[in-house]
Amino acid sequence: MSTVCILDYGSGNVKSVFNLFESIAGRVVVSNDPVEIARSSHLVLPGVGAFGSIMRKIRDSLPIETLERMVLRDGKPFLGICAGMQVLASRGMEFGEHAGLGWIAGTVEQLEATGLSLPHIGWNSIAWKQDSPLLEGLENESDFYFVHSFSFHADIPDHVLATTQYGKEFCSVVQRDNLFGVQFHPEKSQRAGKRLAKNFLSLQ
Amino acid sequence: MKKKRLIPVLLLRNGWLVQSKQFRRYQNLGNPISAVERLSEWAADELIYLDITRDNCYDMRRDDLGHPNRHNVLEIIKDVSRAALMPITVGGRIRSLSDIEKRLACGADKVCINTKAIDVPQFIEEASREFGSQCIVVSIDVKSSAGHNHVVTAGGTRPTGLVPQAWAKQIEELGAGEILLNSVDRDGMKTGYDMELLIKMTAQVHIPVIACGGAGEWKHFAEAFTQTNVDAVAAANIFHYSDQSVYLAKRFLFEQGLNVRRPELLEV
Amino acid sequence: MPRTPMQYCQRCVYPHVAVNLSVDEEGICASCRTAEQFERMPQEFWLKRRALFERCIEEAGKSRASDYDCVIPVSGGKDSYYQTHLIVAEYGLKPLLVTYHGNNYLPEGDYNRDRMREVFNVDHLVMGPSVEVLKKLNRLCFRKMGDMNWHAHCGINTYPIQVAVKFAIPLVIWGEIAWDISGMFEPDDFVEFSARVRHEHDLRGFEWRDMLNDPIERLSEKDLSWAKYPSDEAILKAGVRGLFIGNFFKWDPYSHTKLIQERYGWKGAENAFERTYRKISNLDDRYENGVHDLLKFIKFGYGRASDHASKDIRTGYMTREKGIEMVRQYDHVVSQDLFHWLNYVGMSEAEFWTTADCFRDARVWWIQDGQWWKDNIWGKPSAYGPVHLPLDARRKYRQGALKHLARESNRAA
Repeated sequence: MSTVCILDYGSGNVKSVFNLFESIAGRVVVSNDPVEIARSSHLVLPGVGAFGSIMRKIRDSLPIETLERMVLRDGKPFLGICAGMQVLASRGMEFGEHAGLGWIAGTVEQLEATGLSLPHIGWNSIAWKQDSPLLEGLENESDFYFVHSFSFHADIPDHVLATTQYGKEFCSVVQRDNLFGVQFHPEKSQRAGKRLAKNFLSLQ
Repeated sequence: MKKKRLIPVLLLRNGWLVQSKQFRRYQNLGNPISAVERLSEWAADELIYLDITRDNCYDMRRDDLGHPNRHNVLEIIKDVSRAALMPITVGGRIRSLSDIEKRLACGADKVCINTKAIDVPQFIEEASREFGSQCIVVSIDVKSSAGHNHVVTAGGTRPTGLVPQAWAKQIEELGAGEILLNSVDRDGMKTGYDMELLIKMTAQVHIPVIACGGAGEWKHFAEAFTQTNVDAVAAANIFHYSDQSVYLAKRFLFEQGLNVRRPELLEV
Repeated sequence: MPRTPMQYCQRCVYPHVAVNLSVDEEGICASCRTAEQFERMPQEFWLKRRALFERCIEEAGKSRASDYDCVIPVSGGKDSYYQTHLIVAEYGLKPLLVTYHGNNYLPEGDYNRDRMREVFNVDHLVMGPSVEVLKKLNRLCFRKMGDMNWHAHCGINTYPIQVAVKFAIPLVIWGEIAWDISGMFEPDDFVEFSARVRHEHDLRGFEWRDMLNDPIERLSEKDLSWAKYPSDEAILKAGVRGLFIGNFFKWDPYSHTKLIQERYGWKGAENAFERTYRKISNLDDRYENGVHDLLKFIKFGYGRASDHASKDIRTGYMTREKGIEMVRQYDHVVSQDLFHWLNYVGMSEAEFWTTADCFRDARVWWIQDGQWWKDNIWGKPSAYGPVHLPLDARRKYRQGALKHLARESNRAA
């Protein structure tokens, strides 16, 4: 039975993320308490807003050492959503340069989409680059809901699980072992989003 | 590639869902939530939920129904968020950062501002900085007279002296994420979108433009997609005229080979 | 909301609290506005609509998985006859008539219903749920929402569609555009039958699932199989659409009645109804004009006579003065079918009144000297009978008691 901890750092509206996991997990909490984090089987980091602002809030509210121990050392499945994926990078270039968590080597830069409207808002498809249990049962080219202006440039190609085309190709799903990041919002992506969330929960 | 969006609009007026004709005539359709459930079942791409109440009174004038009679717009927004399986933009009567925060806390994904943006353009900048530009939609209501387009506000009742193109550029500069473009003249008239207006406006800005006002047939959506650069088309009244309307509209567009999501049905 | 004096439409006789109604700045209600638009529609509009109807029939005719061209939901009433006449006599189509039998027919209603397959030469399916189930629903829904006839609103708006889906019959032909009562749509809004309108307005937001948890009236899912609306998937697969004749042909109940009486021997009510002046409406359900409608009066202070008078004023059959007279004479009447119903479901009159009084809307009614009072369209407020509520339930009916609702909506937002 999965227990999900949605990391609470004042990132704004977590209701939809909570509703999504509540419908499929055994237990869901929204918390920054190290005890809850340790107790949960899965961790989710939501995020909406600018890179620098989010990192500041994370440093102020989340027990980073505990998280790094649980995630990087002990292998607890972790899912970052939207800005929650972006902060996994080494650095982000939104409103100046800011250090990220550095859990997956890479840089977050503005989307290059000449001639196309920005922010990138709406439904777009993802193309798998590798097999993964996260994408089980999802058709290649499934549509997910995106709303962002920046994207993750992974240093190591192997960390790119899926890409999306918007002008250029950008990384929409990033993975490093038990660490996952999705640029889109699974909680807004109807059937595909629910499937992906279920897949995430089936990871040990 | 990113798909073009088809976005139903629901209008809330004094606690009722209503139809709107040229921003002047309103007809009560029913409670604020049942329609949201149907849109979810039809896998709508997004939902724009606008509160066009003039005073502060929300009341369906009866309490014997299977749906609660809410007297407070935030309660209604919470209900909407629970029933909606798609991203929601909430607009209407937003005057402060606190108004925005409350609506986001109730489950809105984006907010839409109009009158406040006209009165205090800096508000767009403040809101974008505080909540992120992807959260902030600004709507422009356009009326036409003597062959010229001009911007109106306060439910279409007040001229602003602004020219739509220039105002759109300013909105973008101030950091808004999207523009919702309403044609007041075409609202509820079923004669199709104002193509000229859409072409002019999309040429001005790089942020997504959502067209609204005038849809009377599914082919009007197709026309807007093929003849203009709009990122999305929105419509209110038309989706109440037939069952499975949004699904059928999506199917029409998909079968025409347009760049839209495949139609599907969801369980609420 | 703070009890402001009742507002009445300046043209018809509806109070502003009438279901779903809105009254504009000129004091004219949305229903009158819609009727006004319909009256103004030129011949050209109706010719176009007729052509559209013919196209719809042609389209439906193409996907012929069934031997029937359409389903016509019929009660045996004047509208049923007119719809069937149009489909059979004018268009030569083969319909399947479908009746939901709620067990409330008047003898004249039985007669009219049973003759349809004879005078029209059509097949006719009549479905009546178990009487025990019906009695339970009568009592349950009366207590739950102040409407013992919910089963009928549900059955009529569900069973014919189930049949259409089951037999893959692509069209369901309805009659009058029901929303003209509230002015929800205008002539130009070409509206089809929808699940949302059915759910919200016909079924008041309750579905069969809501009937399974009553502690007193035990009902199972199997008891309500006729009440389940088909899924979108099933409807789309069968290609079923619901069209309203009133959208294509100008609706005129009095001239329709004349036609069907002369041509098909349709019978009106033998005895006058107690709560309305019309004799041609609702023969399929003795309670529709009676105790069911009495509950509307108990809730909102207006009744069937207001509905009929408003319709007749709009189509020029009655003046507003005469309409007001009708309202004064009929709206408040406690008809004798109340006792028929109490006997049918086994309820006491005392329980009826205590339950009914719980549904009095405080926007309309207040208590004075142990009596129910309300505003009247013809003049001063007056009393309408004793109060059957316990003392602690009477608080909200004191004058000025609704100010708290105004306060609540001013809070927050």
